[in-house]
Amino acid sequence: MSQVEAARRAIAMIREREAGPERLNAFLAVADPDSLTLENPNGPLAGVPVAVKDVLATRDLPTTCGSRVLEGYRSPFDATAVCKLRAAGAIVIGKTNMDEFAMGSSTENSAYGPTLNPHDRTRVPGGSSGGSAAAVAAGYVPMALGSDTGGSVRQPAAFCGVVGIKPTYGRVSRYGLVAYASSLDQVGTFGANVRDAARLLQVVSGHDARDATSVQRPVPDFEKAVERDVAGLVIGVPEEYEPEGLDPEIRRSFEAALDRLSLLGAKVRRVSLPHTKFCIPTYYVIATAEASANLSRFDGVRFGQRRGGGAADSLYDMYEATRTSGFGAEVRRRIMLGTYALSAGYYEAYYGTAQRARALITDDFRRVFASGVDALLTPTSPTTAFQLGERTADPVEMYLSDVFTVTANLAGIPGLSLPLGEVRGLPIGGQVLAPWWREEEMVGVAGALERALAEGAR
Amino acid sequence: MTVTRDQAARIATLARLHFEAADLGRITDELNHILDHVEALRSLEQSSAPPMPDERAPTRFPEAEEPDAIRGGVGAFAPDWREGFFVVPPLPGVHAEDGA
Repeated sequence: MSQVEAARRAIAMIREREAGPERLNAFLAVADPDSLTLENPNGPLAGVPVAVKDVLATRDLPTTCGSRVLEGYRSPFDATAVCKLRAAGAIVIGKTNMDEFAMGSSTENSAYGPTLNPHDRTRVPGGSSGGSAAAVAAGYVPMALGSDTGGSVRQPAAFCGVVGIKPTYGRVSRYGLVAYASSLDQVGTFGANVRDAARLLQVVSGHDARDATSVQRPVPDFEKAVERDVAGLVIGVPEEYEPEGLDPEIRRSFEAALDRLSLLGAKVRRVSLPHTKFCIPTYYVIATAEASANLSRFDGVRFGQRRGGGAADSLYDMYEATRTSGFGAEVRRRIMLGTYALSAGYYEAYYGTAQRARALITDDFRRVFASGVDALLTPTSPTTAFQLGERTADPVEMYLSDVFTVTANLAGIPGLSLPLGEVRGLPIGGQVLAPWWREEEMVGVAGALERALAEGAR
Repeated sequence: MTVTRDQAARIATLARLHFEAADLGRITDELNHILDHVEALRSLEQSSAPPMPDERAPTRFPEAEEPDAIRGGVGAFAPDWREGFFVVPPLPGVHAEDGA
């Protein structure tokens, strides 16, 4: 069998299933099976078919970010993470569906229709990287890339029953990642298990001179760290992540996971991150403020679609027509909110206060980790996957889906979601958070917990 | 703070977006609904708690306190760079000598 055969089979399966009644709408573009190339037959991912979220630039496939404004857009270059994939021998077999410009928690904000959850097609896969999570959960690909600005890898991983990793801010290059909120965005990885997600992280990590936020640090052996023992580690459990309203069955599964870690010799310690209560307003001020600036480049001049621009139109008319017709409702809403938060007279009240809250949230983590806690364990989401359309009427209700995940982005620490089991037939996820640059401990705890849960299920 | 319809229209102009009259009322309501939740930050603003020691540098993480790691010049970011200038491809139909 040739080394590209696995990728050809994956494409054939996607084409067949996505054309039938079990369609998930996980892909926005699928590669031509006759034009696949293998750049490195001896690389660590030689021949492995990988899906890439449509927010990462690719030369050979369109990059739309799930938006009409970029319909048909082709990048002249590959994102650094994609270059690294190809250099490792992986074959990019398609671009996955997503909330438009990564703004959403359900993949319902895609201009190309929602992705469906492979476990229950009446429910959302989470978001914004819902297409990548669904593609791995459906068995289309063993690994996929996503991006995580407020939980967009970890929450869909939890909803779809796969593993998702958001590394430390600066670990993976953002060159070629279309920016949503630049101080929060990170490229993340999905895998069917902790080892696969860690292996993919290994490949895409490392310094890149093209991204000024990319940090020059050695990349540890994440895959080897999956085998680590957790005996003697201190696992913190923040009380703010087990609120009274938490689904009792999620709470039960979460407590059972803690018991597993205790049986493995870890010390479970209750801790407090008191400024967690500010995380959602802080996130939605900072993220939308940055988005309003980042998305100003989509005006019909340099990228994608153009509307208006006739002889009677001014340049501003063309900008306005392009942006109004090209952006969906949620993107317009966030641009409006961010523009307001940055406008004269309101900047200090909103953006300035949110930056102070961000410092306090970051300091909560610094204090807890400095007290001897090696990693934190929390539920990834307060609920299981919700019904399609259940939260689209109220943006605030949708934003609250991210209440356990946005803090890691605000503080810049790494986070990982792994399946803890099922509640009423739907997957639930547990989130491991670790100190800055300590992904090894994070995947070590997740790997040990994954093995223990698998043994318990036998 | 409450956003008025006129303010929403002004924000839309700044953001290069257009809302029809009915949509302007809806987006104004939505902004106010979201801002009601953002008001939770007010308690932080009014808090008598002393400022955090690192408040002046709110987004710098402890491991990022070393000097910035940009080693190369601006040319390192350019797809092509010659003699101190960015090299851009010629416009369609324009020959190199035309621009000389």
